[in-house]
Amino acid sequence: MCETQAFFPGTGICKELEDHALLLWLTQEGAESLNRSFHVLEYCRVSSMASAPTSKYNSHSLENESIKRTSRDGVNRDLSEAVPRLPGETRITDKEVIYICPFNGPIKGRVYITNYRLYLRSLETDSALILDVPLGVISRIEKMGGATSRGENSYGLDITCKDMRNLRFALKQEGHSRRDMFEILTRYAFPLAHSLPIFAFLNEEKFNVDGWTVYNPVEEYRRQGLPNHHWRITFINKCYELCDTYPALLVVPYRASDDDLRRVATFRSRNRIPVLSWIHPENKTVIVRCSQPLVGMSGKRNKDDEKYLDVIRETNRQISKLTIYDARPNVNAVANKATGGGYESDDAYHNAELFFLDIHNIHVMRESLKKVKDIVYPNVEESHWLSSLESTHWLEHIKLVLTGAIQVADKVSSGKSSVLVHCSDGWDRTAQLTSLAMLMLDSFYRSIEGFEILVQKEWISFGHKFASRIGHGDKNHADADRSPIFLQFIDCVWQMSKQFPTAFEFNERFLITILDHLYSCRFGTFLYNCESAREKQKVTERTISLWSLINSNKDKFKNPFYTKEINRVLYPVASMRHLELWVNYYIRWNPRIKQQPNPVEQRYVELLALRDEYIQRLEELQLASSAKLSDPSTSPSGPSQMMPHVHTHF
Amino acid sequence: MEFSELIRTGRAQAKLLRGPEAPPLRGTLCVTGHHLLLSPGPQATSDLWLLLLRRVDSIEKRVSGDSGTITLRCKDLRVLQLDIEGVEATLDIARSIEALSSLESVITSFPFFYRPKGLRLGDAWHFHPPERYYKRVARETNAWRLSEVNEDFSLCPSYPRAVIVPRAVDDDALARCARFRQGGRFPVLSYHHAPSGTVLLRSSQPLTGPQKRRCAEDEELLRAALAGARPGARGFILDTRSAQAAKQARVTGGGTEAKAAYPGWKRLHRPLERGWPLQESFVRLVEACGDLEQSMDRWLSQLEACHWLAHVKEALSTACLAAQGVGREGACVLVHGAEGTDSTLLVTSLAQLILDPSSRTMAGFQELVEREWIQAGHPFQLRCAHSAFSHARPKHEAPTFLLFLDCVWQLGRQFPLSLEFGEGLLLALFEHAYASPFGTFLCSSEKERCLCEVRTRTHSLWSGLNQPKEQRKLRNPLYVPSPLAIWPSVELQTLRLWQGLFLRWIRPPEPSEVAWEKVWQIVTDKKTEGCEPTVSASEPRL
Repeated sequence: MCETQAFFPGTGICKELEDHALLLWLTQEGAESLNRSFHVLEYCRVSSMASAPTSKYNSHSLENESIKRTSRDGVNRDLSEAVPRLPGETRITDKEVIYICPFNGPIKGRVYITNYRLYLRSLETDSALILDVPLGVISRIEKMGGATSRGENSYGLDITCKDMRNLRFALKQEGHSRRDMFEILTRYAFPLAHSLPIFAFLNEEKFNVDGWTVYNPVEEYRRQGLPNHHWRITFINKCYELCDTYPALLVVPYRASDDDLRRVATFRSRNRIPVLSWIHPENKTVIVRCSQPLVGMSGKRNKDDEKYLDVIRETNRQISKLTIYDARPNVNAVANKATGGGYESDDAYHNAELFFLDIHNIHVMRESLKKVKDIVYPNVEESHWLSSLESTHWLEHIKLVLTGAIQVADKVSSGKSSVLVHCSDGWDRTAQLTSLAMLMLDSFYRSIEGFEILVQKEWISFGHKFASRIGHGDKNHADADRSPIFLQFIDCVWQMSKQFPTAFEFNERFLITILDHLYSCRFGTFLYNCESAREKQKVTERTISLWSLINSNKDKFKNPFYTKEINRVLYPVASMRHLELWVNYYIRWNPRIKQQPNPVEQRYVELLALRDEYIQRLEELQLASSAKLSDPSTSPSGPSQMMPHVHTHF
Repeated sequence: MEFSELIRTGRAQAKLLRGPEAPPLRGTLCVTGHHLLLSPGPQATSDLWLLLLRRVDSIEKRVSGDSGTITLRCKDLRVLQLDIEGVEATLDIARSIEALSSLESVITSFPFFYRPKGLRLGDAWHFHPPERYYKRVARETNAWRLSEVNEDFSLCPSYPRAVIVPRAVDDDALARCARFRQGGRFPVLSYHHAPSGTVLLRSSQPLTGPQKRRCAEDEELLRAALAGARPGARGFILDTRSAQAAKQARVTGGGTEAKAAYPGWKRLHRPLERGWPLQESFVRLVEACGDLEQSMDRWLSQLEACHWLAHVKEALSTACLAAQGVGREGACVLVHGAEGTDSTLLVTSLAQLILDPSSRTMAGFQELVEREWIQAGHPFQLRCAHSAFSHARPKHEAPTFLLFLDCVWQLGRQFPLSLEFGEGLLLALFEHAYASPFGTFLCSSEKERCLCEVRTRTHSLWSGLNQPKEQRKLRNPLYVPSPLAIWPSVELQTLRLWQGLFLRWIRPPEPSEVAWEKVWQIVTDKKTEGCEPTVSASEPRL
């Protein structure tokens, strides 16, 4: 709370209520974001900027010596010590720059570049601004302005990030001062293009738990009650020969031989045959995932595939049909025939019912998120916020994904029908649908470790192309393969956790941490496109798992209101009325929006600590056989004195 | 008048549909003077179902074959459907409900007949009068006094008997001030901010008229207010109309304070929506929420087109401005619009909630509502005559109080630990403001309440709400008293539609109720385990 004190010098600046636009601005900012001193100071700065519009920071104020100093790595101990560094992280350079903060205007600072991060510390006395950006987050680095550009701060670097923000640094124009910074950043942000290792392979952090042991497929299937007399575990894909994007271990119908599987593989896009994802503990209906059948323009059929689906159907005797959910819009499925794909037709698959779920492809999702960024960064669209949000269609896509998953879950749980899910290749929308449906059906996945297993299983092991979708260490920012599919999944999970505040063991921070490290390249968890590639690179031996970080500090990621419930199916309301933009993620860089860390959770942590303390006291008192706990004067200071609120004083 | 004259038929067989979540009820339908009853057959397990007829906002009947359907849209936004056997019975019941639900007479309304067990008449009526607030102010400063100049409501019919005014201004001067302000609402103290010594005042517009009249006593009153705060204090007049609207008001005898006449005071205009446009915004929002057939991808732009959240934003930011003036700038703030009974109260009450921790307690908030809304003369009888469904020609309806509750809800959402009460209390206040078995929200002013003997002949809502059995619904289990101001964010991105109210009857309530129950459990577990009420429901010291 001491930081809030710092706010007052700032308010003093707006002595005059005349400028009530400014005043209101300060009012609005109010408390919600004062938890960090640098924010506070940012405000103060802005208000001073507003009253003195001419900036006092000019590019020529950069010092020459400091630039020279940087080449001698490790010399400036006093400075570098202030920069956080992971074991294995090495300093590359530092430089004085002007950070053009989109909210508060230019701030002079020193930027430190390591092989893992870009770290900026303000050099101004009235600003404690710190930027700490893992280089993995960078999607694009551009030079802005030329040597002859006029205007203040018009020459420098423009950095586009994958996590909904951009960074802009101005440098001085003389002597190509930005060249080395540009080159160093490009090298370390895009190591793949420079034959450098991704940082995860250099990271030497130590954790007391090993996240790589969290997911063991045999254990997970055993938890589901597999194998049983209908389903068997097969190692046919042990060397990734059947399907190079599938995991080594698969669960298939008992009645299908390995030869059957090989024949089915010829008829499924990229050999991604239908395999079991989840089995209902009671009615034994299953969720099966695969890719599209290779029907093509001529409407090819494959007896083995048809028979195989029938075998899957027969594992469930409660209903005479197998339900197939094709995640795509009908027209897209039809269009896919032109490239050899397609969908299961009625006449070929008599005992199956096919539904299209109308979820659009990766390109549509990418463009949608781009529009979201346009309206939230750097400036939030003010005048028509809701309709501009609507025009991004982001929430509509979320709705369709959730609706699809609800249908899958409902079919399995209430409809007592086994379900087959696919899209085109079965690694984007399919992963979204199966994992969300499993989250709705199986309370195990709503625990922290359960969720890690879910991500590890349905996304990582089944070949969601993280490397292509995210572009780890890759400089091709415009690659058409990039798409925020996993982010969309996490958003859906967040929407569910909003609607069922007691159902999930994890909190919002858990989800945001996962997303941050989706890009950061600090952990090996999300690297590469599939298990075979990961095995080839020995990822589990050479890198650290994100779950090591999370599981060694679980308390931070726990939802205080979690109530463990077994066998409760959650059906979120997937209506637009009940979905909201995840402001704490998408608009988190904006200090005007920035929310304090959830005070309820902080409060809960305090309560837990307090409870332990009381229990201990109770025991002590019982031991001392003292009759009553009637002396409140000795009670420890209550949490009311540790107000988690980010309030300001009167 | 006898109710029996209005009741066309005694009873009929009917089926009641209460939305997607509740199972239908069958039984005998019965109309009484104030209620619609559905009595399930003797074999049924469910209890008698009862609906206060005042709660009905609009009624729609359809007949087909030998049965009929009545759709009742209630003021609490619930929609009920009654399937009734017999065409004649349907029409009779519909007519009876129509007549009985729109009775305008106050003294025949249900609160005058309501005699719940366990409550005594007269309880809690003296719970919150301004005298009580004055005692607190008097402890903090002696620059103010309690004046009973309005004892007989002759000076200002919409003020209570006692008001708090600068000590330096005598009752005769007040009388002259009252003549200079619309409806006699001369500037009175709304809130004294002890840490800075400054005050929040409210009034109605000055009657300057086209000739730009002045009133020496009025000017003196405001001067005294500044002097009472501290020497050299500045003041801000926060006019809740646009500068142009304020200027135009001169044509009809109103106007705004001339700069030259009030040295030390500076005028700010923050236009807030009121009256019909606000009601329309409410109607459109409820329409949009209830329209389940509309294509969902248009929801957000529809929500935007209602402007309701924009009104919430404006109200909150104006309240922040007032609170900032008082709390941070060390200035006195006078708030008024035209009549000073609507947006004025919205701003002053919200500003207090932001600044004053004691108004965030259960009792403190009830006192705030009583003092700043009920006693301050918000015309509930007119504003809440109809809710969002009525087809009746609107007269004076406006959801100003609902807007206030929504703003409070937004505060509670942004500061989940800071309010001692929860959403339950806000929902209850919304319901009771529009239709209630209690007398608290009856009439439009203290004067009317005196004439109708509301205090002696009806029960107070506060005594109803403060019964122990209600507490779990109304209180916020996470409340932690905090001495700090709570400055809300007013960005549209941080404001939310109040789903608990607007989608209350549409969404499945279950998950949020489960969550609420869980929170209570955790908190009460903590208490019993820890032997110490760490999150005690502390009664404020008043």
